[in-house]
Amino acid sequence: MKERLSVLYIEKGQLDVLDGAFVVVDVNGVRTHIPVGGVACLMLEPGTRVSHAAVALAARVGTLLVWIGEAGVRLYASGQPGGARSDRLLYQAQLALDPDLRLKVVRKMYHLRFGEEPPARRSVDQLRGIEGARVREMYKLIARKYGVTWKTRNYDTEEWDKADLPNRCLSAATSCLYGVTEAAVLAAGYAPAVGFIHTGKPLSFVYDIADLFKFETVVPVAFCTAAGRVTNAEQQVRLACRDCFRETKLLGRIIPTIEEVLAAGEIKPPEPPEDAVLPAIPNPETIGDAGHRA
Amino acid sequence: MLVIVLENAPPRLRGRLAIWLLEIRAGVYVGDYSAKVREYLWQQVQVGIEDGNAVMVWRTNNEAGFDFTTLGKNRRVPVELDGAKLVSFLPVEETGDSSAV
Repeated sequence: MKERLSVLYIEKGQLDVLDGAFVVVDVNGVRTHIPVGGVACLMLEPGTRVSHAAVALAARVGTLLVWIGEAGVRLYASGQPGGARSDRLLYQAQLALDPDLRLKVVRKMYHLRFGEEPPARRSVDQLRGIEGARVREMYKLIARKYGVTWKTRNYDTEEWDKADLPNRCLSAATSCLYGVTEAAVLAAGYAPAVGFIHTGKPLSFVYDIADLFKFETVVPVAFCTAAGRVTNAEQQVRLACRDCFRETKLLGRIIPTIEEVLAAGEIKPPEPPEDAVLPAIPNPETIGDAGHRA
Repeated sequence: MLVIVLENAPPRLRGRLAIWLLEIRAGVYVGDYSAKVREYLWQQVQVGIEDGNAVMVWRTNNEAGFDFTTLGKNRRVPVELDGAKLVSFLPVEETGDSSAV
């Protein structure tokens, strides 16, 4: 993960495999090679078409394809289905199912986010309440720091254009972060849907992990962009996110952080049961991450 | 790390570059110099390239880990994609341009 480019946005063109290389071909026949093995996640905007061979190649090198709507509103995702490692999936599920273990993990997340131990004897729900208040305070604080007028976070994807500039910048920036976080969760072999603080969404765990980095990375970037003179806000935010991900060495940090958070449960990943049939054909050694299928 | 690749370059320029860089294949020059020397070398290329074309790539602290710049006409042109630099490969021109590489 850490040696990959974070995200690439493809706006229009046909994604295909020509001579074995991953290319985007535009209407004029101009080919742009994408070093797909060196990218963590490819964001496909409206106006792109993808061939079967291109998806197969992206999956083989462990690159996440994310179909997004205009301005980063997410539609659909694929490339690497989650849970390629049953041992890690069971480990994650065990932590999420046991109330005590889950609370330990949530407390660790709180600790990582705010740099202090959460108050003792609080339930996950209470912690979530404290967290929500602190988050609203942090938005206000960062907005004031960059001189941005901030009312409230607006998630309404239906009425995208009605959202104010800071909200639009924030949405574009968080979609970048969610993309790379999802790629990292999959690369590490965990399931994006099995969350601890967030639950019930296909990307619950991705939101949990992304929140650990949100306020040191994309929120300042979004407000800083919103405070300046912007012509193409979404693009400027992406550019700034790329710089920020590099400076904070984000891609190298996500997977170790996931391991650290889950380790707070103080249980070991489960051993295979004694009567289990181990694979007859051992998995080949690959240069990809643990959760990649090929 | 610094690499310069020349195509269709006059022998005079090739000799000039070989003073500082190692020509490991025809037209492919490798070395390890500071930004200052790199600019100086690229200036030499600009002056001496004539009808040929050149590309220079060097290690730098961006997300890709390297950056590059080009000179002269080539079917491969650099494109910028939200801060990431990629290369587009243009289709063959209809006019029968035999100099296309």
